[in-house]
Amino acid sequence: MNSGTAIAREEPAGAFRQIMAWLHTWGGLLAGWLLFAIFFTGSLGVFDDAITRWMKPEAPAVELRDWDRASLVRMGQSYLEETVPRSHFWSIGLPTKDIPVIRLFYEDEQEQFQSERLNPATGEPMPNDAERETEGGHHFVHMHYEFHAGTAGVWLVGVFTMAMLVALVSGVIIHKRIFKDFFSFRPGKGQRSWLDAHNAVSVLSLPFLFMIAYTGLATFYSLYMPAAIEVHYPEEGSFFAELLDQPRHRPETDVDAAVVPLDGLLLRAEAEMGRAASFVVVEHPGDSSAAARVFGVFDEAEARGKLLPGTSGRVEFDAVNGELWDVQVPGEIRGGAATATQAVMRTLHFAGFGGYTVRWLYFLLGMAGAAMMATGAILVMVKRRQKSLREFGIHTPRVYRLVEVLNVGSIAGLALSCIAMLWLNRLIPIGIEDRAAWEIRGFFLVWALTLLHAALRPAGRAWVEQLLVCAALCLTLPVLNALTTGSHVLVYWAQGDGPRLGVELTVIVFGLLCGLGAYGLLRRQRQARPLLNAARPPLLQRGAESEARG
Amino acid sequence: MGLYGWRLFWLVAAAIFGGYALASGATVFLGAVLPMVRAEAVLAATLLSFAIYTAAAIWVFAARDLKRAWLGLLLPAMALALAGWLLGGVL
Repeated sequence: MNSGTAIAREEPAGAFRQIMAWLHTWGGLLAGWLLFAIFFTGSLGVFDDAITRWMKPEAPAVELRDWDRASLVRMGQSYLEETVPRSHFWSIGLPTKDIPVIRLFYEDEQEQFQSERLNPATGEPMPNDAERETEGGHHFVHMHYEFHAGTAGVWLVGVFTMAMLVALVSGVIIHKRIFKDFFSFRPGKGQRSWLDAHNAVSVLSLPFLFMIAYTGLATFYSLYMPAAIEVHYPEEGSFFAELLDQPRHRPETDVDAAVVPLDGLLLRAEAEMGRAASFVVVEHPGDSSAAARVFGVFDEAEARGKLLPGTSGRVEFDAVNGELWDVQVPGEIRGGAATATQAVMRTLHFAGFGGYTVRWLYFLLGMAGAAMMATGAILVMVKRRQKSLREFGIHTPRVYRLVEVLNVGSIAGLALSCIAMLWLNRLIPIGIEDRAAWEIRGFFLVWALTLLHAALRPAGRAWVEQLLVCAALCLTLPVLNALTTGSHVLVYWAQGDGPRLGVELTVIVFGLLCGLGAYGLLRRQRQARPLLNAARPPLLQRGAESEARG
Repeated sequence: MGLYGWRLFWLVAAAIFGGYALASGATVFLGAVLPMVRAEAVLAATLLSFAIYTAAAIWVFAARDLKRAWLGLLLPAMALALAGWLLGGVL
């Protein structure tokens, strides 16, 4: 075995640290590629509302008025009864300041998730060319926790989050001088600088990284770690019913039964909660087990500064006979210390408790996390570019090459496909079928192309080229926006449209950073080339030749 | 004594699957014995499990001895799960 991972038997403490170094390097590298994507898109997802707003430039087709909520719920119910009389669920969302239409979500006969928007004035479905159909900023949130791959994606993210906890712990173990390392940055020194950068961002954001990884796992605790629930409860539903002191979920009976008029339930619920409703959800409509829940409007000012905000109001009915089951008034907290702990962890993860100040803090710390992954992955290769450690025998150059390709494609390539998503939002024609899905397919296509590009070009060139394209797409996005919608930074500034202005300015700053990165790399490569050619060890030359052949 | 080949494969497998088994077993046990309402105890134990899993994965690599790693994870996992299952019915 090579010197990097060989174990000195006579020195057990050193051996432990060496094995932790090995674990940190390879575990961190393997997990780091996807973790970079998870952190990068999670940081963008902090601003999902602002990004959605930017991605929907058209003025809403209907004005927000003080609608009669009962009649809106009636419209929603009659549409759903005609379309999917029997379903796993219906959900009727009432108009909000940002989305002034009736939003319907339901599962169709093929158990596919569907959505529809109704004009609150007429109850008619809105044509899909009235507004740009898009997943908006929520695309980044989906990427962050499930890669658009449903439960399998949530598991994948969970596995990598666990790997991250292990990498963080092993990283702390191998750092004898964690604070000294933090204060030393030696730029322009190749490997040493990458290590310094990696240490600095890691130490700086360490508490945040532990918190965000752990609270992410805690958010999906019943999926990831179902053992105790499985053993101590007959089924998951009865666990949650006991935990949250809520009516038990009723399984479907397959006996047909009509849902009572929901507008009546809405009015009763609003009276019980003392607050306006925002959502009505019906479970198993058409079945005699149907249950209805009415949720109160979320009050952001009320939740501000609270890690344990409690419910925003929730009333539950038997949806077949209208019997009232349960009322939770706004602010009510149920369950004991463990429930409260889990709720606080979720609030911490979702960054919603402190307005834009906390969102910016999360954005910066999340990006620091992404930078930790990136500098770590680059460091592995910078070290091995100088001197091969021959960990993989005769396959070593090929493995190193694969690592380089994955580094470029998962770091520069992911950033590039994120900005490409905003381009696609402006370029894909409005009104085509499945428009939102095409934006997402486009995102994945661009990401795949960046991997292909990285595989075809020498690593150094691939880095520079992808960073340059990324910078160009960022810096010209305002131009594209102006050409396609007539709006730009100055318009947003004049209108006082903070979210859209923020998105565009952040993109410009990001473009400048990518441009600087590409410029720095290019300059270093020009300086380094004569030196490298003069004294190149044989193995690296072979690696470089295979690189050139692609 | 190095880390490569099948030995590495089985160590990594022990960390991932053995660690998960130990965390699951500990969760079942703690869910039965923590002095709280059952649902609360189960939730508290489940939240703790990710820390137990992390520690188990680190321990596997520190132990490095394949047999010790697997036995050290699976025996306590089974004992804890069984004890938790039995106590869960009694308490």
